[in-house]
Amino acid sequence: MASSIFTLSFFVSLIASTIRLATPILIPALGQIYTQRAGILNLGVEGTMLMGSIAAFSTAAATGSLWLGILAGILAGILFSLIFAWLTITVRANQVISGIGLNILASGLAAFIYRVIFGIRALPAQVESFKPINFGSLSQMPVLGPILFQHNWLVYFAFLIVPLSWFIMEKTTYGLKIKAVGENPRAADSKGISVAKIRYSAVLLGGAYAGLGGAFMTIAYLNQFTESVIGGRGYIAVSVVIFARFLPSRAALGALIFGFFTALQLRMQALGVSIPSQLLLALPYAATIVALIFASKNAAMPSAYTVPYSRMER
Amino acid sequence: MNKKFRDSLINLGETLAMLVLALLVGALMVKISGNDPLEAYSAMLTGAFGKNPLKSQMKIYELLVKVIPLMMVAFAMSIAFKAQLWNIGAGGQFVMGSIASTAVALYVPVPIPFRIALSLAAAIAAGAFWGWLAGWLKVRFNANEVITTLMLSYIANCILLWLINGPMQDPYSDLTQSDVIPEAMFLPRLIGNYRLHSGIFILVFVAVVMCFFWKTPLGYQIELVGQGRKVATYSGANVDRTIQTAMLISGGLAGLAGWIEMFGILHRLFPDIASNYGDISNIIALLGGLNPYGIIASSFFFAVLINGGSSMNRMTNVPYSIVDVIQGLIIIFVIAKVILHRKNSSAAVKKSK
Amino acid sequence: MDNYAVEMLGITKIFNGVKANDAIDFRLRPGSIHGLLGENGAGKTTLMNILYGLYRQEEGIIKINGKQENIDSPTKAISLGIGMVHQHFMLARPLTVVENVMLGHKSRRGILLDTKETAEELKDLSDHYHMGIDPYTKIYQLSVGEQQRVEILTAIYMGAEILILDEPTAVLTPQETEEFFHTLREMRKDGKSIVLITHKLEEIAALVDEVTVLRDGKMIGTRRAEGITKEELTRMMVGRDVMFNFPPLAEMNLGVKLSIRDLTAVNDRGVPSLNGFSLDIHGGEIVGLAGVDGNGQNELCEVLTGLRKETGGSIFLDGEDVSGKTPRFYIDKKVSYIPEDRHTTGLAMNWNLKKNMILKAIGSKRFMKGGLMNEKLITQNWDTARDEYQIKAIDGDEKARALSGGNQQKLILARELNADPDVLIANQPTRGLDIGASEYVRQKLIESRNGGAAVLVVSADLEEIMQVSDRIAVIYGGRLMGILPRGADVYEIGSLMMGKRQEELAHE
Repeated sequence: MASSIFTLSFFVSLIASTIRLATPILIPALGQIYTQRAGILNLGVEGTMLMGSIAAFSTAAATGSLWLGILAGILAGILFSLIFAWLTITVRANQVISGIGLNILASGLAAFIYRVIFGIRALPAQVESFKPINFGSLSQMPVLGPILFQHNWLVYFAFLIVPLSWFIMEKTTYGLKIKAVGENPRAADSKGISVAKIRYSAVLLGGAYAGLGGAFMTIAYLNQFTESVIGGRGYIAVSVVIFARFLPSRAALGALIFGFFTALQLRMQALGVSIPSQLLLALPYAATIVALIFASKNAAMPSAYTVPYSRMER
Repeated sequence: MNKKFRDSLINLGETLAMLVLALLVGALMVKISGNDPLEAYSAMLTGAFGKNPLKSQMKIYELLVKVIPLMMVAFAMSIAFKAQLWNIGAGGQFVMGSIASTAVALYVPVPIPFRIALSLAAAIAAGAFWGWLAGWLKVRFNANEVITTLMLSYIANCILLWLINGPMQDPYSDLTQSDVIPEAMFLPRLIGNYRLHSGIFILVFVAVVMCFFWKTPLGYQIELVGQGRKVATYSGANVDRTIQTAMLISGGLAGLAGWIEMFGILHRLFPDIASNYGDISNIIALLGGLNPYGIIASSFFFAVLINGGSSMNRMTNVPYSIVDVIQGLIIIFVIAKVILHRKNSSAAVKKSK
Repeated sequence: MDNYAVEMLGITKIFNGVKANDAIDFRLRPGSIHGLLGENGAGKTTLMNILYGLYRQEEGIIKINGKQENIDSPTKAISLGIGMVHQHFMLARPLTVVENVMLGHKSRRGILLDTKETAEELKDLSDHYHMGIDPYTKIYQLSVGEQQRVEILTAIYMGAEILILDEPTAVLTPQETEEFFHTLREMRKDGKSIVLITHKLEEIAALVDEVTVLRDGKMIGTRRAEGITKEELTRMMVGRDVMFNFPPLAEMNLGVKLSIRDLTAVNDRGVPSLNGFSLDIHGGEIVGLAGVDGNGQNELCEVLTGLRKETGGSIFLDGEDVSGKTPRFYIDKKVSYIPEDRHTTGLAMNWNLKKNMILKAIGSKRFMKGGLMNEKLITQNWDTARDEYQIKAIDGDEKARALSGGNQQKLILARELNADPDVLIANQPTRGLDIGASEYVRQKLIESRNGGAAVLVVSADLEEIMQVSDRIAVIYGGRLMGILPRGADVYEIGSLMMGKRQEELAHE
């Protein structure tokens, strides 16, 4: 029985699917590396992704242009995270509460927008989503073809920006400023760095990535919008960042692990294997906790993590 | 004392102003969606209270029915929040309580009275365990409770889905739900055929206890831990133990809420039994300022919003999601409210330009 | 008409309704070292933070090199050639020296970091002033003195011609201070203008050209340092004469109360910071523990109150081995503790004053009625304490954060002394307090001693140690360097603080 399931094609499609499913976690996670290193825990990523997904979907549906959809997703992400930035940086509100509040708002807002634009309908609205890039004979290769060369451009883009994120963090003045602001905002301030500006930029950047991640879900992975389209991926992205201890390469690894578990569960279910598939679905969440345990052990958290900064408070 | 009273009055006034503001923005959105805000809100009000509140008992009872889980879970969260433990996974603790108590009700062959007691204990224990687990992970591994409670909540829902698709699935149907618990175990209804059940007495009991809880040494201790690990340790508190205790109580109350809901209203497990009590009660607890009286008041407000909202959804073209939007706006406005108080001081700083 | 590097005229700054600076005039001559003298809370740091663009003044103008400037940010200050080294270092600890420096300047490679070039220039500058700083070291690997050098280096590197130093010697040993002064003189020779914020009279005599004295936010006067006497400066600073001679304390010895044997402990980073510390403290005695900050004092206090677990050695209280007990145990055994950090340890800042008074008595029968904490009893307790300790507050319902530092410390003092302690550990009990509050705290410490308590006073302020102590113990590198009697020579204490053992001194 087992041998008939675990065939080569099973593994090939499992791994290909892992990579695809890692993408909507990796993109927002890379964005949150900036945000979190600047000392801000944005749980509102979940809602930001949802806003990105509805913006991308409705724009793509209205204009017929997927590229405009991508743009709209990013813009929505930036705008929505602007609220978060204002609450946590300017108002100096509790980051956890602000994030959860925004998630509730987003769940209502996204559903509301969908309803207003698309009305009540028997079948969900659909768009023609991004097609896999055709690498010619490479895509036709056995094994490697489906695993590596049959994805849409966003999947490649997500993995390509992993080294870029590292480079920005380690080799540019902007990366250095982010680290300083997360580590010792007062010191950064005294060196003439605007803590608020850097933190705003880090949150908005995270928001842009989250919006893109949301867009991926509706116009690159699926071709429709549902209220549960994000399904906790925003929260998982946040924990992947903590798991990765703010390193892009490790975030990619974390995203792949989550992608793998989800893919495995989906495949098992599709094959009707009598493994309790709902329990398998719990594995990524359990893995997050385990990852958190290991990440926290020798936690290299930014010293000013979740702490608002005010020059006036001594 | 006078000043204290005035301060809390001002605070109340500001909070109410924020609620109104959220409702106004909501009205604007209703307008944008091409509907009449007045119609929407009046549909909401009649949905919650009936055309004539004195005559439509049913609506009032339904409000109370809604208040029970909301207020219980909000109390649960307030205990953890007071210790600065962001237990945002009370929904999962609720689910665990429901599962455990239903399992006892369906499968433990002891006389009904014992079974009721046992199921109650199981619900509290399961919820408490799920909450404590996050507390323990925080103490033992410094794992951020925001993430762990959330993940545990997802896991609880996965377990629920698995059980009602497999081991506990209703043997008499193909639906993903469990069998109905024995009718003798239902919480008795209070008035005729209305859904209002005797679980409300448990809620009243818990509310009374909560009004005193923050004056007990344990309440003080939990609040102290929320003031910072260093000062709490310095003051002789066992911070690690207090964190676990707070999460234990918090989870236990959420589990109890699951029990009441299961035996009073739902009577069987099915997907999404916790609805989104976790998130809404989160707002209720914060809107109530973690204060028992505030939580009681805001529970009623949200029950009106939810019951009225679903009836509005049925009676008009305005979708229910507007209620979620209003809830989100409320929390954002209430958070942002503090800036009103800071204005004066920052204006002074800027004035010198 | 004189040329000035800096002219601050009529500067007024208000914090929460209190004038931290009240119409202050301050003038700095180019190529000079200018002492800014005053007690804690006199407004020195506030004035300099305004010059550095961290605060905005409510009134007054600032001229740099004769030209009026609007300094609205540190960036502006830096561009005007102003550099500041704060008392609490402004360094990001996990970053390297060169990374910290690069934070403050524009990179030659645009958006990319110019780590290599900056590191080389930094090395040259470090060599020029004989500072011995390796640009690639991470900040947390450096000693406090080295970190201070990094701060100064950074300021100079960023082009500071006007350098503000906020109590730079507070963290240095007397000998390190000498080297540091040498560096400052070299900088003056290079034409830099330096403001030295201090409350130490010796530094004025040793180093500065001019001195400006502030008191209670007001400017008292500017004098040439040459020829001015200590007494005159003191009068300007405190408005009255203070004693430099310390009268003997009444003899009180009640036998050993607290005995510390070969105690070892590690700090938060796991680095050994107590390395076999031993000390006996008698009832009715104050032992002053002198030492440069960061030589194990905090760890010692924490171990003695159960807040930190020792890694070895033992503590005896009345002959009973109490090592490894919890904070609760020590509280119950009447060991009181005035922690160094009022804000995160000594007080629950968001709790009201009443509740802060019973912080350690939660669940105590004294404040309970019918199983609940009783508001009336708690209020009574607060009222008594407020009257007895002269705590200036509105009604006890305000948050601890609303109090001034002095009144916060009085509250802690009231709580800890009302517990009628057998042992009292006081860690930097007067840090950050004004002279009146400091005197009050010291008086209370002595009263506690006279009541028979065994008192350990940890302080970086030698004058304070000499004023209150029956015996003076010196800690260095987590070890006891020696014990000196009341009235011991300051320089002898200083040598011990530098890590010379008492026996070695005897041989010199």
